[in-house]
Amino acid sequence: MFRLQGSKVLAVDVTGDAVKAKNGSMVAYDGQMAFKKLSGGGEGIRGMVTRRLTGEQMTVMEVKGHGTCWFADRASEINLVALQGDKLYVESSNLLATDAGLRTGTTFTGLRGASQGNGLFTTTVEGHGQAAIMSDGPAVVLRVSAQYPLTVDPGAYIAHQGNVRQSLQSGVTFRTFLGEGGGEAFQMRFEGDGLVYVQPSERNTIAGDV
Amino acid sequence: MAFREVNSKMVEATVMPGQRLFSQRGAMLAYKGEVSFTPNIQGGQGGVMSMIGRRLANEATPLMTVEGAGTVLFGHGGHHVHVISLTGDTLYVEADRLLAFDGTLQQGTMFLGSQGGVMGMVRGQVTGQGLFTTTLKGHGAVAVMAHGGVFEVPITPQRTVHVDPQAYVAHHGDVRNKLSTALGWRDMVGRGSGEAFQLELSGSGSVYVQASEEKL
Repeated sequence: MFRLQGSKVLAVDVTGDAVKAKNGSMVAYDGQMAFKKLSGGGEGIRGMVTRRLTGEQMTVMEVKGHGTCWFADRASEINLVALQGDKLYVESSNLLATDAGLRTGTTFTGLRGASQGNGLFTTTVEGHGQAAIMSDGPAVVLRVSAQYPLTVDPGAYIAHQGNVRQSLQSGVTFRTFLGEGGGEAFQMRFEGDGLVYVQPSERNTIAGDV
Repeated sequence: MAFREVNSKMVEATVMPGQRLFSQRGAMLAYKGEVSFTPNIQGGQGGVMSMIGRRLANEATPLMTVEGAGTVLFGHGGHHVHVISLTGDTLYVEADRLLAFDGTLQQGTMFLGSQGGVMGMVRGQVTGQGLFTTTLKGHGAVAVMAHGGVFEVPITPQRTVHVDPQAYVAHHGDVRNKLSTALGWRDMVGRGSGEAFQLELSGSGSVYVQASEEKL
C-alpha cells in the first residue's frame, strides 16, 4: 500500500511482497526490511542488456520484509499513480517506486526523446498496482481527450498514461536562427485519450535553448 | 509556545522582556517591536569552558542572542523549518541544523563515543555528524532546519526504527542509537543497494527524518 506523508515522502506498508524503488531512496523504516540491488531494473538479462544499450539506466533496489518503509529523493515532490492494466510512460529518473503488481520495461520514443533532453528511450510501467513518480515542484495532471489535444513543453513533461499518441511539434522560424527565438521552439503534442503529468519546472533541454 | 510556523520555511518567534532566545547568526528575516540582536561569542550558553568545549568539538556555530519585546521572523537558506517542543527531555541535533531555540533550554555537547564507544565514533563519521553532537534539554521549543520536509517517526520498545544516516535530522527521548550495517558481498563488488549503513534507533521517543538525502 502506497501512501503519501506530506508531499515529499512516500510511506509504503510492506507485507511480505517486494517493492521496487530507486536505489538509495529509503530514508527510514521500521520492522524488518532487506534491500537488494536489482541489476537492469529487475527485468532479467534481456531487460538489462536493453537498458545498457538504450542508456535508459535505472538503478533499482528490491525492498522486501514486514513493516513500513519511507522513501524520499532529494526533496522532490511525489505523485501517486494507480494503474489498472494500462501503461505509464515515465522517464527513469522520475520513477521512485513501483509495487509488486507492476512490470517495468523500455520503449523507443523517437525524436521527441532527444528534444526532451533525456534520450531516445523511455521507461514503461504496466500492470495493476501503484507507482510513485517524482517531479520538481508539485505536478499537475492534465487530461487529453479527442476534442482537446494537449501541447506540453518537453522540459516540463514527466509522464503520461492512457491511449495517447504523441508527436513533436516545432515552432522553428527564421527568428530562431537569428537567435531571437522565444525559447519554445519544440513542443510535445498529445492526442487521444489519457493523462499527462507536467511539472512546474523545466529541465535543460535543447529545445529550451532555441 | 515561542515559535509559530508562518509557512514551511519561516518561523515567527515572540520575544518578551526577560526571555531570551538564541538563533543562528544572520537568520533573522524581519522583526517588529524593540528587539536587539547581540552576537554571542560563546556560541550559546554556559561559560568560557563550554565555549572551549564547543570549539574543540567543532560544534560551535555562530549564534546570536535575541532580546527585547516584539516578534521576529526567522528563516535560512530556503531550508524547511520544523518546530519541535521539548517537555523535559533531551533533543540530539547537529549544531548547524539549529535555526533558533528558547533560552530556557540547556545547551550541551555530547561525545558520540560515550554512546556506543568506538562504534559511536564510527557512526559519527559515517553520518557526517563528526564526533560530537549538540544536546538541548529542558522545557521549550526548538526550530530545526532540514532539506525538504521533516516527518516524525515514533519509536517504541516494540518498534525499532532504522533511518538512512543522510536523512537523519534529530531525535529525542530515551533512545539508543547504533550504526547497523547490512554490508554484503554485493556492496563489495559495487552492486550495493545504497542502503548499506543504517542508524538503528531503539527505546522510546521519536526521530525526525528529512525528505532528502542531502546534507545542509
